[in-house]
Amino acid sequence: MLGETTTAFSDQEIQSYSTVSYLPENRERILINEPGHNWWPDIEERLKHLINLDNGWDGYNAEPVSFLNASFALRVLETICTINTPAPQIVPGTGGDLQIEWHTDTTEIELHVIAPYRVEAWICSPETGTDGKELILTNNFIEVVRALSKMMEHLIDEAAAA
Amino acid sequence: MSRPNNLPDYENPPLSEVVLGVQFVPPPGYQQIYSRDVWELFKNDFSKVKEVEALPPSFETFGLPKNRRSDIKLHTGASHDRFWFLSGDETELIQFQQDRLLHNWRKLKDGSNPYPRFENILPKFESELLILEEYFSSNFSSNELEINQCELTYVNQIALEDTSQPFDKWIGIVNIDSLEFENISITTQKLLTRDDEPYGRLTCVCNSGFDQKMEPIIDLRLTVRGAPIKTNIEESLLFLQQGRNLIVNSFDEITTEFAHKKWGRK
Repeated sequence: MLGETTTAFSDQEIQSYSTVSYLPENRERILINEPGHNWWPDIEERLKHLINLDNGWDGYNAEPVSFLNASFALRVLETICTINTPAPQIVPGTGGDLQIEWHTDTTEIELHVIAPYRVEAWICSPETGTDGKELILTNNFIEVVRALSKMMEHLIDEAAAA
Repeated sequence: MSRPNNLPDYENPPLSEVVLGVQFVPPPGYQQIYSRDVWELFKNDFSKVKEVEALPPSFETFGLPKNRRSDIKLHTGASHDRFWFLSGDETELIQFQQDRLLHNWRKLKDGSNPYPRFENILPKFESELLILEEYFSSNFSSNELEINQCELTYVNQIALEDTSQPFDKWIGIVNIDSLEFENISITTQKLLTRDDEPYGRLTCVCNSGFDQKMEPIIDLRLTVRGAPIKTNIEESLLFLQQGRNLIVNSFDEITTEFAHKKWGRK
């Protein structure tokens, strides 16, 4: 508990009454994992890997993903994903940044986490048209929630039609 | 700085701890070895030091209702501890880690130290932020603190007169006395908006329990957390002032008239 709270004194006083990889440059567009899969441990491992990359991991001067950016990305995922959301791909940038991506036959969603509260989003779906839609996001990700929800609907429609 | 006239006030509020804090982007080049220098900045008033586990980064984001919080803890290999710089009487505390600065005040167990009031704590915290900013800018390539999150917490420990006393005598949100609950544990969150856009949350956590003397209490914690409009100290202090007003007004609404009389509401 100590590591999670900013109170310093009161926690010691109350007693509970009861119980109480980067991907290669020409990365393949892979169909995302099946919905409902518990992918959080994989995301954890992926983010840990990315923040522990060596400097120059791309053969040039790339930095590892920053701890703050990885932490913020995790918080964003918690904010936008339901239990049925397919696993995203997490792709490192070269300046400590990273991208969270979903790619399906109908929808592409990319969230470029440049810094905490500084995210560039790109959504391309039947709703946005082929040009897609660019968004600058800070702390409100409701548009991404909607896009993910629509992406899921399309996946279900595709599965039903197959 | 003066107290807003319309803010509810109590002669003897059940306040046991107040925390003012900010989270910022660590300056490039800063490493844990420099934490000794940071302690030197505050050592005159905070002569004792203690190492504790670091706080993980905290962000208020908005989308789906909070349906899950991951237990994931990211590790970078080497990590920075959190340091407590304690005043001689241990009633005040500065918490420092590479991306956080917080100031805590607490009431002593015997209640002998009156609450110095927010108007006196905030200038201290402002001074500490400016000192830290000056240290970072003098020693690292950092112009000003880039603050991405502010938080303010008030901890109230409400002493019950006996274990059989209904909770709703003190707390208005628990108007369910007929159910004769043995204990309560309630968390509520309110979205804070600015120009129709969310920027933070007011979190209220209410638990029944016992204090160290095994006296029955209700532990009521109100926290305002979110991003300031701009990332500088000035806007962060403004966020904290507005947060204080929200917390005090919410506390007044949550607690009952019976409780207000006990605490000497003015």
